[in-house]
Amino acid sequence: MGEVILTMNGIDKSFPGVHALDHVNLEVRKGEVHALMGENGAGKSTLMKVLTGIYTKDEGTITYEGKEVEFANPREAQAAGIVIVHQELNMLNHLTVAQNIFIGREMMSGKLINDKKMNEEAKKLFHKLNIDIDPTEKMGKLTVGKQQMCEIAKAISHDAKVIIFDEPSAALTEAEIDELFKIIRDLREKQLGIVYISHRMDEIKVITDRVTVMRDGGYVGTLITEDSTKDDIINMMVGRVIYEEPKTKSNVAPDAPVILKVENLNAGKMVQDVSFELHKGEILGFSGLMGAGRTETARALFGADPKESGDIYVNGKKVDIKNPMDAVKHGIGYLSEDRKQFGIVVQKSVAENSTMASLDNYMNGIFINKKKEAEVAKKYVESLSTKTPSVDQLVVNLSGGNQQKVVIAKWLVRDCDILIFDEPTRGIDVGAKSEIYHLMNELVAEGKSIIMISSEMSEILRMSDRIVVMCEGKKTGEMSISEATQENIMHAATLRN
Amino acid sequence: MEKIKNNALVKKVGFNRVVLFCVLILMYIVFAILSPTFLSYNRILSALNYAYFLGFLALGVTFVIATGGIDFSIGPVMFCAALISGSLLTKSGVPLAVCLIISILVGTVFGVINGYLVAYWNMPSFITSMASMMLAKGVGSAFTKTQSVSWPQSSQENGGFRVLVKVMTGSGTQIPTGLIFLLVVAVICAIILNKTKIGRYILCLGSNKEAVRLSGVNVKKWEMLAYVICGTLAGVASIVYVGAYTTVQPGLGDTFNNDAIAGCVMGGTSMAGGVASISGTVIGVMIIALLQEGILAMGFQKDWQYVITGLIVLAAVYADVRSRKRKN
Amino acid sequence: MGKNEKKGNVFTNNPLVRAIGTQKIVVVLVIILLALLFSIMSPSFRKYATVVSIFDYSYYISFMAIGVTFALITGGVDLSIGTGMIASGLVGGYLITHQGMPVIVGMLASIVLGLLFGLFNALLIAVLDLPPFIGTLGTMMVARGLGSILTGGMSITWPAASVPQGWFRSIFKLTIGNVKFPLGFIIVILVVIIMSTFLNRSRPGRYIIAIGSNKEATRLSGINVVKWQSLAYIISGLFTGIAGIAYAATFQAVAPGTGAGLELDAIAGAIIGGTSMTGGYGTIAGTLLGVFVMSLLKTGLPFIGLQANWQQIITGLVLIIAVLIDVLKNSKRA
Repeated sequence: MGEVILTMNGIDKSFPGVHALDHVNLEVRKGEVHALMGENGAGKSTLMKVLTGIYTKDEGTITYEGKEVEFANPREAQAAGIVIVHQELNMLNHLTVAQNIFIGREMMSGKLINDKKMNEEAKKLFHKLNIDIDPTEKMGKLTVGKQQMCEIAKAISHDAKVIIFDEPSAALTEAEIDELFKIIRDLREKQLGIVYISHRMDEIKVITDRVTVMRDGGYVGTLITEDSTKDDIINMMVGRVIYEEPKTKSNVAPDAPVILKVENLNAGKMVQDVSFELHKGEILGFSGLMGAGRTETARALFGADPKESGDIYVNGKKVDIKNPMDAVKHGIGYLSEDRKQFGIVVQKSVAENSTMASLDNYMNGIFINKKKEAEVAKKYVESLSTKTPSVDQLVVNLSGGNQQKVVIAKWLVRDCDILIFDEPTRGIDVGAKSEIYHLMNELVAEGKSIIMISSEMSEILRMSDRIVVMCEGKKTGEMSISEATQENIMHAATLRN
Repeated sequence: MEKIKNNALVKKVGFNRVVLFCVLILMYIVFAILSPTFLSYNRILSALNYAYFLGFLALGVTFVIATGGIDFSIGPVMFCAALISGSLLTKSGVPLAVCLIISILVGTVFGVINGYLVAYWNMPSFITSMASMMLAKGVGSAFTKTQSVSWPQSSQENGGFRVLVKVMTGSGTQIPTGLIFLLVVAVICAIILNKTKIGRYILCLGSNKEAVRLSGVNVKKWEMLAYVICGTLAGVASIVYVGAYTTVQPGLGDTFNNDAIAGCVMGGTSMAGGVASISGTVIGVMIIALLQEGILAMGFQKDWQYVITGLIVLAAVYADVRSRKRKN
Repeated sequence: MGKNEKKGNVFTNNPLVRAIGTQKIVVVLVIILLALLFSIMSPSFRKYATVVSIFDYSYYISFMAIGVTFALITGGVDLSIGTGMIASGLVGGYLITHQGMPVIVGMLASIVLGLLFGLFNALLIAVLDLPPFIGTLGTMMVARGLGSILTGGMSITWPAASVPQGWFRSIFKLTIGNVKFPLGFIIVILVVIIMSTFLNRSRPGRYIIAIGSNKEATRLSGINVVKWQSLAYIISGLFTGIAGIAYAATFQAVAPGTGAGLELDAIAGAIIGGTSMTGGYGTIAGTLLGVFVMSLLKTGLPFIGLQANWQQIITGLVLIIAVLIDVLKNSKRA
């Protein structure tokens, strides 16, 4: 490890209602791979966005190459030598690899672009990095892994001194990860400073020199990787005080019938051989880190995305779910993590959204029985205590928590027996949160069954009767609430197999 | 201003519709001042003749625009229907009632083609409907061997269908029954759009198709239905067109698409989908019809109408784009 | 795609096929097949005059299609090219025949009017953010009315080939003795080469492709997307004007109020040639091949007894098939 190239000191950033970063520190040296770790929502990406000028900081200093800096936008940061390799790649699929690398700074011979020279330069660059990619290939034809290599090459061709990898391995295969690590080691040799954001404990141990851990927007500490164990890091990540009392034992009768059984569900890379059972009256928590494949599992189960194989049994009977219509017919309702895009029609009223999935029951001949519709909508506005002036209010005018209640109402009106809650409290304030918890408990008490996908550990521990843990598209753990702890959930969630 | 906006009646009709209606009245007054002949009953009848068929076209395309799509085939489809059934009536001696049904069915068939290609094959609606516009033009003129077709006059045999458009009283004054026909169909459309499952799903999927799909709704079926309704109404439009204008020439009709779409977007139906107003469409169509009559009455070239309608479409869509941006 | 990176068969992996593009080879085969079909069905088709006539039909469609290819590559479309072309032809011709201006002035006026339509589209779409199909639809309507308003609603006949002022017709069809040479084809080929080079080898061309591929990523690469998207529509407008001259040179008269629907011949040509409706991909050479399919159909169908109305039906069907292929190609990629 060489001298310090980048220091972020006491970085503080607030958004309305959220203290996103609370005096966070980060120090990166030349020739170092520095891991940045933390649970979902710990503030890692916010910190990187502050660094590259996407957000402006409220307090603190950034020192880069001995000078205090503040970048106005990512392009300025890039010009200074700080580059992010994004998890979501910004590629121009119709252009070639070389054309992508040199976009905006094409090499010219006179008025014409010299593609030949760009191909040669790209080849040299790849050679230097030991990457085997044909610069004349169309970007869209490469695998995600190779695209990522191109992104790295592009970063280096910008004379980068600090490269930030934002969960680079999420979409890569085993062999591609090995190749990536080779490149990263190479870059370390060349005295670049590297920030490596990842959830994968094994990778951290293999590739990084130091680890900085964040939790709930705060700085927890920095460890030297070699001198610390996996448990040390996990303890720093989860060492949060849980204010709400976690559930200690399952509320489900041991002989409760299995209402939903999923066997060997497969749908792409994110859902591999997932099997589980859901009992009547149970809240089954789905835990895991970002990109573990939980939402994909739910969507494949619900028929929102095509599945490759797998059997689904509802009440012991095998069912064929090809699309959401089939799922709803079998009494399954899905509350998406992205309400605005997949849950509600924001330009329509509370009443219209409430009956969206069950309009057939609110007809009077060929006409919609608006009175009956308003009545049922009102009933659920009251029982869920949705805050809205009337059921004719457009949903766009409601707060996040109340919008979520409208989505819940939609499935309750449909009388679904199996409800999939995907991040039910994301973006919802504390008060509304506990109301939704309360509601879920009531629902299971009435005999409904819930699959709850959540990235919040405290939510998982507070609500679930049983917990399924996923990592990289596979089920990596299943435990009853009585044996679940933050530590063993996090272990399973970072388990690579 | 606020007071007017909060008035119960205004709220029910919609402030924009009230403004639009005032524009309509104002236009009439301005034309009447500029051109004294404008006040005559015949002028009004002439404007209404234009409004009938345009009204049916616009009512239909309102459903398609509500889904977030567009249909550029309605005008030629209307002509195609009138050519086919008119030729069957006058040349092949097919009974009138059958011909009227065929008119409507021709429209329906084009609606089914458009709807199927757009909803089930994910083809862009504008290019799909332009292709069927060409089909409609070609099929219509191939069917009549590029001859124009004249439908029978009211006095002649088989001219009875014209009661749908106008009725002569004993004293020789004309009663514009077409207006009643149009308004009755408009009310039915408004009911379908606002009170039935069809309209509910069409509006919702125009606003957020994925959310509706994830509610377990067969979105493809309902999206296709919007095009079928549109095509069917283009078929109906063909009947009132020949009722008012008698003769249909092959290879024409595409300018009426633009007039109908202009009527829709002016009436507050959003090109982005999800928001539609039948009453707005009717008033919008009346404005277009009055505009064309006014341009003729003042002795301007007819071409001014294309320019003005074009600018109206652009202004209305720009206003819609702006207001959406502001909301986000 | 995944691991099947090297997918394909012997044919598609052939370097020559890869260089030219599978779709273009298929289109060439289609052209040959169509020509054979027409020749077999109608002896009178097998004449030099027919070939000249096929070329005649191809010029104005070619220019429109070359222009609209740029709009399509950005992921948009330009529906105003048909009526815009007629308006340009009307105004240019009006200046020559009614105002006594030299032919060259009339030609320049046609091009300038086309450019103005292009600028107007650029303003609507790139600056004001209107959806391309509706923005250019508005321009289409405006152009339709404007052309005949400016010329007083009259049909305009550009000077005939027999008078000295008719020299411009020789640009497209040179008559030496009794033999007519389709000189315009050489011009079209030159334009194709120039515009191909512009699209593939210049920065503006590169950025137009990039915008169609991923507008946001292009913007984040520090490229002025408003400027280059505008340029695509301005190019489309420029070629609308040139097409107006070609149209006037090919046909006896330019009639006001026509032109609607002609844009579809050009758009169909571009899509047949492999340009994608979703943007990011297109070739000028492919567009030219696609145009030949259209002009072959336009010329050939009457020979087998199918008149103008069948041309419209065929245009419609060809357009549906071409777009459907494009949609299926894209959904396979995704």
